[in-house]
Amino acid sequence: MFKTNNVVSRIFERQIRTPAPGTSVHCARRFYENLVPSYTIYDVECPDHSFRKFTDDGQYFISFSRNHQDLIVYRPTWLSFSCKEEDCDNTHELPPKAKRFESFFTQLYVRSLASCNELICKDFFLYMESNQFGIFATSTAQIQDVPAVDGAIQGVPSIEKITFHLLRLEDGVILDEKVFHNDYVNLAHNMGVFLYDDLLAVVSLRYQTIHILQIRDSGNLVDVRAIGAYCREDDELFINSSSQLSGNCGDIVDNGIHHDQPNSNSYFLSGIKQRLLSFIFREIWSEETDQTQRVQCLKKKFYYHFQNYVDLMIWKVQFLDRHHLLIKFGSVDGGVSRNTDQHPAFFAVYNMETTEIVAFYQNAADELYLLYEQFCDHFHATSINSLYMNFISSHSNNVHALEQLKCMKNKATSSQFVKKMLSSLPYNCQSMSPSPYFDQSLFRFDEKLISATDRHRQSTDHPIRFISRRQSNVLKFKIKPGPEFGSADGRSKKISHFLFHPFLPFALSIQQTLFLPPSVVNIHFRR
Amino acid sequence: MMIGGGGRSSSSSTTAGGTWVSTTSVSASGKRIQREMSELNADPPSNCSAGPKGDNLYHWVATIIGPPGTPYQGGIFFLDITFPSDYPFKPPKVVFKTRIYHCNVDAAGNLSLDILKDSWSPALTITKVLTAIRSIFTNPDPYNPLISSISRLYLADKAKHNEIAAEWTLRFAK
Repeated sequence: MFKTNNVVSRIFERQIRTPAPGTSVHCARRFYENLVPSYTIYDVECPDHSFRKFTDDGQYFISFSRNHQDLIVYRPTWLSFSCKEEDCDNTHELPPKAKRFESFFTQLYVRSLASCNELICKDFFLYMESNQFGIFATSTAQIQDVPAVDGAIQGVPSIEKITFHLLRLEDGVILDEKVFHNDYVNLAHNMGVFLYDDLLAVVSLRYQTIHILQIRDSGNLVDVRAIGAYCREDDELFINSSSQLSGNCGDIVDNGIHHDQPNSNSYFLSGIKQRLLSFIFREIWSEETDQTQRVQCLKKKFYYHFQNYVDLMIWKVQFLDRHHLLIKFGSVDGGVSRNTDQHPAFFAVYNMETTEIVAFYQNAADELYLLYEQFCDHFHATSINSLYMNFISSHSNNVHALEQLKCMKNKATSSQFVKKMLSSLPYNCQSMSPSPYFDQSLFRFDEKLISATDRHRQSTDHPIRFISRRQSNVLKFKIKPGPEFGSADGRSKKISHFLFHPFLPFALSIQQTLFLPPSVVNIHFRR
Repeated sequence: MMIGGGGRSSSSSTTAGGTWVSTTSVSASGKRIQREMSELNADPPSNCSAGPKGDNLYHWVATIIGPPGTPYQGGIFFLDITFPSDYPFKPPKVVFKTRIYHCNVDAAGNLSLDILKDSWSPALTITKVLTAIRSIFTNPDPYNPLISSISRLYLADKAKHNEIAAEWTLRFAK
């Protein structure tokens, strides 16, 4: 059916026609084809901060001071200016006064988060939209070769102090904090922390524990449970009380074990490992009904690999819903390194309430891949009250993205492809921009250069083209990071990243050269 | 042959500077363990299974499914079994890797069973050991306890004992 691209006739059409049931949001979003951030102010003079992101409701713009001590929060505002001259039409150049960072952002406050030897982790920020709370992290320096003491894992670095700060973004009041001592949480790109509704999962790599915290409306961070050595929150208490209930604890000492550490975990499998191993065991046991077949199967598939399963460590976690966690297990070597595709890995779905493992897959499992291909959005567990998060394009909700995926699939060998695709699981929390300009049913763009995923990318001197999806040759707008006429030094490697406003035709591009700042910040918006 | 060789190499690492005599005896123990393995595989006792961990014939893992009708029902209990290099002249060492509320298992998971100590006989096999371990799930031995408080409760108030043991199974052995 012919659809006009003229914005006036589109508005007229909106007036006289009701869109097909369930499509009104999609129809409304088509207006983004007409309203694009096509105007660029190059090399805007702006405060020397590292800019993190717009919050997903567009209310706040988060940035950190260069010395990683302070948080600076801005309110994004729409440019308004006046000029004195006679012919103030659209073709008029913006007055120099309007071409400033301050015309688009109003500073709300500066808050000092780091103290003494701690620094803000500029790669970490989570936003709880329902309460307009922000979660920030500060940490001391990372120490590499630390002896593994008190149940810590060998080969994982240690950080003396990691502090999570809960802030009310409205006024910057620090509501609560949670400190981890001599621990290691992967803070880069929010990797080790996942927020779902009011639940926060923090993965302690060093102590192999998933800490579940709840963010109360009152602004408190409350420990709900710790999954690792134990599965239920009162397991440890239960062991202590049941040994007391039996009256005499003294005879435990008689056997040469000090009673002040009755729960030393070195003897026993940790709670989560017991669940995992018994799940694998039960699966093989019930798979084979023939007695001798079963024995052979267990020997080859279970006992032979038993120690490998025991040695698996928790790498990463995400929520699937309020009860279920998707946990990635792997070897120690892969837990800290960035590139984890090379290491063998496993995925487990764990129900925190029943403390059961629900499913277990290897990272080359076709079954899991098929689920991922068809139901990708279910892995994008976002909070229930952020509607526009439903519009982040994925191969499960967008035919163009699916086409692209199928194309990649046909080119690659099967098992390598499955591994590569599944290596993105569990997802990083809040790593996708909900901006409609990344909606693949509206625009087509080179995903190597730009995408909804929050990541630094190598940049070229060429502008990034956003092409209309419905009229395949119409260029809708360009985003050009870096100086207007290219940089003088064409050889040095340039890295850029993009911060898109969640719903306004408004974006920032920040380009850095490898050798020192200043970075070049461009503002892209609709004039 | 391959596995016998494995046994030999593992012995030289455990007993440094092992003599010619000891290596042959280890190899003999390896053969014996292998024979017991095929025997176990041919006719495994119900609710039990076991097998070597990786390539090491001397380190096994056993699994015992909590027998129905006991407070351990529904639990999966993993045990480490280590064979000495002079097996079968010395008994294997058995340790629980899964927490269990049982008067014959201490707080570190060590199991007290007479056939694994003084009553050991080279005529016993791994199948018989597994059967014996399985039987203490149904019939604990409160007169030779490792944790006397549990045995006392077992004798005085069996219902209460079973209730606690079932709760342990639910929490730690699922």
